[in-house]
Amino acid sequence: MLKQAILALALSGTMLAGPCMAHAKLQSSFPAKDAHLTAAPKALTLTFNEAAQLAVLKLTGGGKEIPIAVDKNAKASPSFTFPLPALAPGSYTVQWTAVAADDGHVTKGSFAFSISA
Amino acid sequence: MELTGWDAAAVCAKAITYAATLGAAGAIFFLSYCGSLLDELLRSRIRSLAGSLLIAAALASGAKVLLSGASMSGELAGMFDSGFLGMILGAGEGRATGMRMAGLALAALAIPSNPRFRALALLGAAAAAISFAGVGHIRGLLPNAAPLLLLCLHLLCAAFWLGALGPLLIAARDGSDREAALLASRFGKLALGVVALLLAAGAGVLWTLIGDAAQFWSSDYGRMMAMKLLMVAALLSLAAVNKLYLTPKLLSGNAKAVIYFRRSVKTEMVLGALILLITAAFTTVAGPPQ
Repeated sequence: MLKQAILALALSGTMLAGPCMAHAKLQSSFPAKDAHLTAAPKALTLTFNEAAQLAVLKLTGGGKEIPIAVDKNAKASPSFTFPLPALAPGSYTVQWTAVAADDGHVTKGSFAFSISA
Repeated sequence: MELTGWDAAAVCAKAITYAATLGAAGAIFFLSYCGSLLDELLRSRIRSLAGSLLIAAALASGAKVLLSGASMSGELAGMFDSGFLGMILGAGEGRATGMRMAGLALAALAIPSNPRFRALALLGAAAAAISFAGVGHIRGLLPNAAPLLLLCLHLLCAAFWLGALGPLLIAARDGSDREAALLASRFGKLALGVVALLLAAGAGVLWTLIGDAAQFWSSDYGRMMAMKLLMVAALLSLAAVNKLYLTPKLLSGNAKAVIYFRRSVKTEMVLGALILLITAAFTTVAGPPQ
């Protein structure tokens, strides 16, 4: 029975092996956090410390959500860039949710930037 | 740290999955190492408990995945969004949940009383218990497999300890005082080594996850881990009272000992549940400082 138990643990352990990455943290973005821009950005870029899948990305400004299409089936990547429509001057908030590709840890965050007239 | 209602629901589902899976596995272990001391009534009731926990674990595992989708999206629709669910399952949760479901199905062989299936049931129970190592922060330390193996050992020992509480309560409530005394004594002898392994393995996992000790104590993860350690200390104290004071009283035939023993086991169950809830929280909404 001891041999069976050891074999069981060994077999179970092989099922747990696999490629790995740490959980994703936002390393940088454009626009950067708390940036004051003089011109509207043409694109929104998020760069993480590890490959991750972007699950949610919301851009809000003036109380309204600006639609950004996120492909939830896209492969894991450390960087994501999304084209933006022409943004009016004002304050904006970006909310994101990412899933680290292997450890499955979900991280969420947000940052703000503004565009001056 | 901001928590939405969906985040809290996902944490609760995770805690229930922990409790039901480790409880079921521990009950099946208990049937194996205490089998010769159990009369048919107690054996039947413990098998029923194991069966109920196996079903609860399977349902809670499914709910955990769905609620993770809602937590990610911040809304109910996320539970049924194939994109979110695909991400969650593809990012390790699928591996862990699949292993758990397979383990629970195999462990269900312990429910009928056929001893030919005992080894397979134990294999299933062990697989279900260690399935939680299939996803999470510890995987960030691979290819160093030592932390992963330590976590598996920690989970097996936790299943042994926490999963024995239900059967011990059944024995104290439905069995004779003599039966309860013998079962508590058998468990207590084994628990000494198992708890030592649990603590050593847990300390090893914590040591490998801490990148910076100063950052650790100022982080949400560190504060919640500290709360867990306090609960573990309280649980250990109660377990020591059981082993060193109550179990000898039970064995000597003290009439009131079984009443105190029942209360003590119930208190241990509450502490165990709180430990699992805190663990579910810091493994979901926080991460070890890097």
